[in-house]
Amino acid sequence: MTDFFQALVNGFGQGSIYALLALGYVMIYKATRVISFAQPALMVVGGLFSYHFTSELGLNFWVGMVLGIVCGALVGMLVERIALRPMLGKPVFTLAIITIGVDIVLRIVSNRYIGVQSRIIEYPGGNERFSIGDVSISHQRLGLIAVTAVTVAALALFFQYSRTGLAMRATALDQETALAQGIRVGAVFALAWAIAGGLAAIAGTFVATGNAGIEQTSWIIALKALPAIIIGGLDSVQGAVVGGLAVGIVEALTATFQPDVAPWLGANFALVAPYALMFVVLLVRPYGLFGTREVERV
Amino acid sequence: MSSRLRGRPLVRTSYAQDMALLNTPAKRRSTIAIVIASFLVPFLVTDDLLLVLTLGMISAVGAIGLNLVTGYAGQVSLGHAFFIGLGAYTGAVLGGDPDAAVTGYGLPIYVWLPAAGIVAAVAGLLVGPIAVRLRGLYLAIVTLGLVFLGDHIFREARDLTGGPGVGRRGPDLVVFGIDMGESGVVLGLDLAREQRQFLMALVFLIVFAVLARNIARSGVGRAFSAIRDRDVAAAVIGVDLTRYKVMAFAMSSFFAGVTGALYYAVVGVFEPSAFGLLLSVQYLAMILIGGVATISGAIMGAIFISSLGRISGEIAHVLPFISESSGTDGLLSVFQLEAILYGVLIIVFLIFEPRGLFGIWTRIRNYWKGWPFSY
Amino acid sequence: MKLNRHLVRTSVVIAATALVLTGCRSSSSDEDSGAGPGISDEACPDAVNPDNGCISLGVISDLTKGPFAPLAVPITDAQKAFWKKVNEDGGVGGYDIDIASNIADAEYNPEIHNRKYQEMRKDILALGQTLGSSQTLAILEDMKDDDVLGLPASWNSAWEFEDQILESGANYCFEAMNGVDWAVANRGVTGKVIAVGYPGDYGGDAAAGVEAAAKANDLEFEKIETPTGQDNQAGAVAAILKAKPDLVVVTTGPAEMATIVGGTAAQGFTGTFVGSSPTWNPALLKSPAAPALEALFFQAGPWGPFGTDTPGHEAMRTALGDVTPNDGYTAGWTWSYPLLAALKKADEDGGITRESLVAAASELTEVDYEGILPPEAGATQGDPADVAYRSSVISKVDPAAPTGVSIEQDLTTGPTAEAYDFSKPCFSLQ
Repeated sequence: MTDFFQALVNGFGQGSIYALLALGYVMIYKATRVISFAQPALMVVGGLFSYHFTSELGLNFWVGMVLGIVCGALVGMLVERIALRPMLGKPVFTLAIITIGVDIVLRIVSNRYIGVQSRIIEYPGGNERFSIGDVSISHQRLGLIAVTAVTVAALALFFQYSRTGLAMRATALDQETALAQGIRVGAVFALAWAIAGGLAAIAGTFVATGNAGIEQTSWIIALKALPAIIIGGLDSVQGAVVGGLAVGIVEALTATFQPDVAPWLGANFALVAPYALMFVVLLVRPYGLFGTREVERV
Repeated sequence: MSSRLRGRPLVRTSYAQDMALLNTPAKRRSTIAIVIASFLVPFLVTDDLLLVLTLGMISAVGAIGLNLVTGYAGQVSLGHAFFIGLGAYTGAVLGGDPDAAVTGYGLPIYVWLPAAGIVAAVAGLLVGPIAVRLRGLYLAIVTLGLVFLGDHIFREARDLTGGPGVGRRGPDLVVFGIDMGESGVVLGLDLAREQRQFLMALVFLIVFAVLARNIARSGVGRAFSAIRDRDVAAAVIGVDLTRYKVMAFAMSSFFAGVTGALYYAVVGVFEPSAFGLLLSVQYLAMILIGGVATISGAIMGAIFISSLGRISGEIAHVLPFISESSGTDGLLSVFQLEAILYGVLIIVFLIFEPRGLFGIWTRIRNYWKGWPFSY
Repeated sequence: MKLNRHLVRTSVVIAATALVLTGCRSSSSDEDSGAGPGISDEACPDAVNPDNGCISLGVISDLTKGPFAPLAVPITDAQKAFWKKVNEDGGVGGYDIDIASNIADAEYNPEIHNRKYQEMRKDILALGQTLGSSQTLAILEDMKDDDVLGLPASWNSAWEFEDQILESGANYCFEAMNGVDWAVANRGVTGKVIAVGYPGDYGGDAAAGVEAAAKANDLEFEKIETPTGQDNQAGAVAAILKAKPDLVVVTTGPAEMATIVGGTAAQGFTGTFVGSSPTWNPALLKSPAAPALEALFFQAGPWGPFGTDTPGHEAMRTALGDVTPNDGYTAGWTWSYPLLAALKKADEDGGITRESLVAAASELTEVDYEGILPPEAGATQGDPADVAYRSSVISKVDPAAPTGVSIEQDLTTGPTAEAYDFSKPCFSLQ
């Protein structure tokens, strides 16, 4: 039984990273209707900025992380301006391929910085662990869950109560009407990418505090957020969070129990488990758990 | 009764003439010219470049298949790599060396090539019903899930695939008694291995391109286009959505299967990690850059993307500010530049010509049609 | 905008034409003046000794996008430094050796590996580095047809049985055996040993070694396969915690190893970890797992790490200059010694050609490793069971050392490796 709770706790921690990344994907999708495959690169770039501020320049971890978030947001805005603004109105998949191109370019440049070493940030809490009974969680994972919760709450409040949040919600509903109402849709796009860049930077910072840090192959972590956004629904913010946590928990549970319970599925079925969960969810709800049903008109 | 008016080539007097495969004299002449020129290419170009073009032509068949389902029928599929992998392993298992450590049956090409296509098509038939229920990006990411599922299966089925990191050999390429893996004299000509493979790939491409073009201009093709444009309206006028969507997946998977089998027969050794997200994205890029919903666009895009590695390598070596070292001096190593150029070229291409290579071709053609009064 | 369009179009047309022209088949054969392909009497580009001829070596590695790029870049740089030093010492047989002109990046993809080999096969005498097992297998037939010798960037036991491939250092199989023997003798390991590794030849070779050593030491053995990715190790961690072994032999990359060690130690695991040579990275000293690594982790390697005091290591450090210490450099440097020995032998035997080099490579009785390995370690003449080198170095984590590890036990052959019947590869590649 402790195995089960330990796996749950681990999954919750890992799921928070997926939730942050999934939020980024959803932000961009809601504003621009494009799936951005550049999130892996933004995660690595944001994490590296935080690494630079904390480990190379010696700043406090939280200050460094905030600066990393700001830089990540700026990079996101730059990408939107340079690669995507000229392509407004073109088919959605063309834009997706362009984001893949951006991803390749950004990753190669960051690999130059990473070089041969992993880049690891030292978390201020050290290696302490909190335990309840036999189930323990590291200080660093607790920090991650706390930061994620605060971020999600802040975003929810932003969308609900601020004017800019209202403008973003309006643009997500109908771009032309929003334009007609005087909302600067271009600024909304830039802001969506900036928020996605900032969220990816938080995720990247916490990946860098992990046991292995950020190295040249760490970007693959961000691809696990794709089934998360489908499970939650492409245009739903709460869906992204729920989906990310679900993917993390399912992955951890499968890794712990599948070799004993269902070995015929093959070794390391945990790699495919999020996609299996996605298939199951879509069988029941074709637009994800919280996605809005598309209305087709002739 | 049809008759052609002399001196008035574009006047068509029968339905058959209108719907013909090559319905203008310009198309007829240029197609014959291109085919003849292509048969001459192996004697003019170096062997390593021939290998690049051969692989490009074989992937063109896969790109045509993806075009059928994504370009013509509008069902975005990121799962193409899965079907290519299925076809590759079917071909390798059926046509491979029986004495190797992995399973092989040593069957001839006229068994393993169609079998590869059929196995992949059956998988496509199973995936098709999913397309009916989902649309847009949901369908795209679900098909991506297929790729990961396939990756898992290929990695676990060690007897068939050799397992990750080790891989297996593809099937032996022996067509009509001529071994495509050897160099030597055949039919009176001294042909190197790359030249033989190029000619074989060329014939393969022509056969499948004509097949796809015929599908596209038939009733099935028109149904696909209707589904892409407005599937609700198509259903209203009587196009059976389930049947045609499933058919689109099955057909595209057939093309993907034969592509996979032949491609990895030419490459030689391959391992399960070849069939990942990157391969699917490459094929998508091929049809987007080539031009969606056109067969010739898919071919042009496939050859372009296959040569892109070579092109970016040549450009990277020429640019002056890049250090030749692979190490840490200089702004970027030449290899990183090569990798970046790959991404940059795709972006630049899509930004400047979103209709792709076929759009460029259309513009050139229209310019010359109206010459000297073009503007 | 109109001018821009014209400019773009014209430059594209020019570029396309240039590309087409470079690809034209020349009617004259493009052989260099000299004894054969890859060797010419003209001086190398930027030659150290302008009077010497030029031998061309090729390198096909993973320098940007694949999983081994962080290691392959220092390996390649060390090889360039090695051959530069050889040139500065006068070259071999009146020839300078040029490795920098034929370096290709195959992105760890067998298809691209094959393509790059086809591009360079007429220009090189031998391959100074070919990285990846399935990648090398993809070109092995062509290498045999061309009589091209190749140096692998790995330590698979299968290479000992391949005359076309010239490897150095104890392979993963013997290394794992030595690691287990050492742990039994020094860390009180008695009950169970688990081999955790990547699926495929890298993990499989070491697992076969662990199994043999477990049988010889009367230990229970279990094999766990784990995928790449620091976020995919939860299964391995859970399995280790469930089985509670005394010893875990890890054959993955550094990130995965740190995740496994850190994850299990965080939940109270105190068993010993022995990692294969590629599992360590100096940056792990800053990881949250560092205390656990210092207490529990030991690296089994083919030779001493970067900071070891031998003439060879010293020569390497001098030749490389001011670089961040990394054992990729040590590997690339040491791997090149047998090729130098083979070149010298081919020269003594009547002239360097592809055929004579391949013949010389399988007739070596000793190689001068400048102290990094004993001379008999490089012997290739004879049965692999007799000449394969079976000793490994065990290193412990040492924050003061340049690469974070220092020698705990110098080159030793453990009893299992000594007695092992090496008549076929531990993990078959074909």
